Amino acid sequence: MKKQLVISVMSKDRPGIVADITGVILDLDGDLADLNQSVLGGYFTMILIAEFDEQVTPEDLFAKLSHIKSENKIEATIQEMPLPLDMEKDKLPGETFIVTAQGENRKGMVKIMGDFFFDRNINILDLVTTRNQQMYTMIFQVDLSNIDSIGVLRQELETLAGRENLDLVLQHNDIFRATHEIGTPFGSSTE
Amino acid sequence: MLRSDQIMATVEMVQKENLDVRTVTMGINLLDCRRGSAKATCDRVESKIAENADRFVATCEEIAQKYGIPVVNKRISVTPASFVGAGFKRKDFVSLAKSLDRAAEKAGVDILGGFSAQVEKGITKSDKEYIDSIPEALAETERICASINVGSSQKGINMDAVAMMGKTIKELAEQTADNGGFGAAKFVVFCNQPGDNPFMAGAIHGVEEADVVLNVGVSGPGVIARSLEKTIKRRGRENLRLDDIAEEIKQITFRVTRCGELIGRQVSRELGVEFGVVDLSLAPTPKIGDSVGEILQILGVDAVGAPGSTAIVALLNDAVKKGGVFASKAVGGLSGAFIPIMEDAILADAAGKGTLTLEKLEALTCVCSVGLDMVPIPGDVDADTISAIIADEMAVGMVNNKTTAARLIPVPGKTVGEVVSFGGLFGESPIMKVLNVNKSGRFVAWGGRIPAPIHSFKN
Repeated sequence: MKKQLVISVMSKDRPGIVADITGVILDLDGDLADLNQSVLGGYFTMILIAEFDEQVTPEDLFAKLSHIKSENKIEATIQEMPLPLDMEKDKLPGETFIVTAQGENRKGMVKIMGDFFFDRNINILDLVTTRNQQMYTMIFQVDLSNIDSIGVLRQELETLAGRENLDLVLQHNDIFRATHEIGTPFGSSTE
Repeated sequence: MLRSDQIMATVEMVQKENLDVRTVTMGINLLDCRRGSAKATCDRVESKIAENADRFVATCEEIAQKYGIPVVNKRISVTPASFVGAGFKRKDFVSLAKSLDRAAEKAGVDILGGFSAQVEKGITKSDKEYIDSIPEALAETERICASINVGSSQKGINMDAVAMMGKTIKELAEQTADNGGFGAAKFVVFCNQPGDNPFMAGAIHGVEEADVVLNVGVSGPGVIARSLEKTIKRRGRENLRLDDIAEEIKQITFRVTRCGELIGRQVSRELGVEFGVVDLSLAPTPKIGDSVGEILQILGVDAVGAPGSTAIVALLNDAVKKGGVFASKAVGGLSGAFIPIMEDAILADAAGKGTLTLEKLEALTCVCSVGLDMVPIPGDVDADTISAIIADEMAVGMVNNKTTAARLIPVPGKTVGEVVSFGGLFGESPIMKVLNVNKSGRFVAWGGRIPAPIHSFKN
């Protein structure tokens, strides 16, 4: 019997973090599945899924991760997940859109957008924000499968833009794929 | 994973640089509309267009709304009228034009192209009837565009047809004199006319095409102009050379083409209609900031038409093709930069100032698409001179294995420097000077054919 653990780690970025963490997983005879890592402002964060034998506990793993010798502490959170994981959920739905929002930096900007999406049962699939001097930019990848009318949503975004003094643009995800990927998002000729 | 720089670049292109899809054109084959009488044929033409195009405009608008990219023009092209109406008399062709006009109105499109004929080698009796019908047909309809192919690289130039064109264009302008000779703006004479061009006035649904096809024209020159300005500002003029400029044009064209094809294919999927081609042509509009002439200014000529202009257009045209061909699964139509005087505010201005002459325009057409387009000339220029200008332009296309065309508008009662305005997408311009008027009659009078050029011995 196997068990699946989801591990999230964070640390100040330096060479060797991936080697250290995957070394611990290998020591416990773990089999690594999907992994995502990202670096933001000099800080490293990673989320990964690995399969272990039944007797390996999250505590064992946590103890081993804590013993990694490093100038900066590696923080880790571990959760056991039911098998099997639904990786199909990671595929983008057909109605994936991108909403970009820009405005002069102030507190609560992401919350404004978060509330707007939540009120309409819109799930945020991915989110990137950047602050460049006084300009704050948010890019939301959202699933609009629950939206009946894109036209109405556009009007609502326009109202929000006026009220909150934001520059809001809604566009289909395929537009970005079409303009930046070599492969075409058009499907095959026989489709 | 989201790449914020790429996403913001695309957002900027759509929002600030006015990226759009210039036209989605539905081509409809009308050959199976032939019935026992002209009346029954015309009726079937109207019903067939209605059957195929009833959801066309609404679907284009839905897809544009969903993707956040406007589709500026929705048009229809049909099988050349001379084939549909083979054996028709002049009055029957006028009736056919009126039927097409009604069908276009019902479908909600502003222009329908294909009141056309192909006479590059010989003219049939019904072709003659068709040509005779053009002035009345275009004067009495609102939405119909006509075109005629009088030459090709394979067959040569039919000079009998060219001789008729001067007279036809003059008469067409006279019949629409109240509106500055506007009828002539809806009629274009071609060499090597393609059957899948989505742009008006020269769109037809070629006989080689499937029953119903959607062709798409990509966004205009404005996007390229804005992008070039931004690049020059960001990188500094002193750090750029022409190969960098060509590369920038290629990249922006790649994106523009991809957007056009994405929208076009979605519309065709929604309608269950075959997708045809993406036409890469840069089609200017009279709107400020949507001009091919402006790109010439950005790239370094202080007056459009000054020496260097032809080289710049050559660079532009080639880079547009290279970026677009790689982006698209199916490229066709005209696919080059247009230089329509009246439809391009900067070109019109240059024509008014005299920096851009008819002769320089002819030179430009050697390196771009499509020809002497939307050129207003004095109303008193004689028919033979008009025919001879057309012959020159056809020769450029025939010898260079490319499409060329002439859309000349002899504006009744007006002369050089006076302004003619048709409004909307047809624009306005001061009337251009024609040199050597009344000096080509003996040439045009020969008739016959200019033989096709030799296609070997290329050294």
